[in-house]
Amino acid sequence: MNDDLDRQNNNIIANWARKHSLWVLAYGTGCGAIEVPPTMTSRYDAERFGITGMATPRQADVLLITGYLAIKTLKRVIRTYEQMQAPKYVIGFGSCTINGGMYWDSYNTIKRLDDYIPVDIFINGCMPRPEGVIDGFIKLQERIARGQAKGWQHYQENLDWYRANQKKVIKNWTMPDYNW
Amino acid sequence: MDSKLIKEQEIKRNINNAFRSAEVTVVRRRRISVRFRAGILPAFISYLKEYMGFVHLVMISCVDWLEDNQFELVYHLWSYEEHIHAMIKIRLDRDNAQIKSLSSLWPHAETYEREIHEMFGVDFEGHPGLTDLILEDWSDLPPMRRDFDTRAFVAETFEWRKGREDAQDVRQTISARYGETIPEFKKDK
Repeated sequence: MNDDLDRQNNNIIANWARKHSLWVLAYGTGCGAIEVPPTMTSRYDAERFGITGMATPRQADVLLITGYLAIKTLKRVIRTYEQMQAPKYVIGFGSCTINGGMYWDSYNTIKRLDDYIPVDIFINGCMPRPEGVIDGFIKLQERIARGQAKGWQHYQENLDWYRANQKKVIKNWTMPDYNW
Repeated sequence: MDSKLIKEQEIKRNINNAFRSAEVTVVRRRRISVRFRAGILPAFISYLKEYMGFVHLVMISCVDWLEDNQFELVYHLWSYEEHIHAMIKIRLDRDNAQIKSLSSLWPHAETYEREIHEMFGVDFEGHPGLTDLILEDWSDLPPMRRDFDTRAFVAETFEWRKGREDAQDVRQTISARYGETIPEFKKDK
């Protein structure tokens, strides 16, 4: 199984195609969602890098976690992430996803995003400007081309660890258990 | 000064004629504050709504007076005819916080009452559904109470990333986890 995943990940031609067509799920969790429209529209025009929006998780490649994540939202994010088709990439956006940011002592926002879902790229800043966002996307494209953006593979292999972390903060677990 | 507060003084007289126990203070122009007891609050508020023209419930807020062992509910009302903002302040016992719901007078009072119920634990009698509004599956103390220790809760529930507590560079721990080098930036000249 793992050899199969590795082979998928290291396919040079597939990676070249993937990196030039990143469909970002239009799902904003925090205040960072306000930086996405200028990134996508005419001034910064992320579409020249092949980055564009998608309305449904089943056809999206990139999940942008834009800012703080409440526990209530985390449940929806996990559900969304698990619906996306592999290969899928996660960008942690803003300092809240890195160490809690300005919500470091808040009772209902998580402090470390990479404990709950695998993150391929962190963009720091509060908030990062559209230049920073585009820079993060280009870094992600480089990692995809090198076959290093394998957070989704890490998630499948360490599902128990992620599940334990997720169930620690989500008290009433009502989500389906997928079998991969 | 007094000549400008004629409207406010008249409202104060009218309220005191109907409810002698209401302590009315004129805070300033267009603003009065009323202290009242919790027992017959719906009767008092409906009097203000029907006869005094305070037809708009702006919001309900709650203050936790931990030292007095009391909650203070503040009902903000607005009169479009007189252009006066009235604050009705009710003190409740903190251990047995119970009050009648105002959802029969204003349907939108339900939302404020649900929030106060979940954030402070005040029980509203006669409310059609006191379920969670913002929080989900919360089993601890209501989080806006002052005796709820947020920092202890956070330390118990979440795990800190190293570097946060002594203001170190958190990129070190991230790069260690993912096995990559931190990019070096050119220093400013």
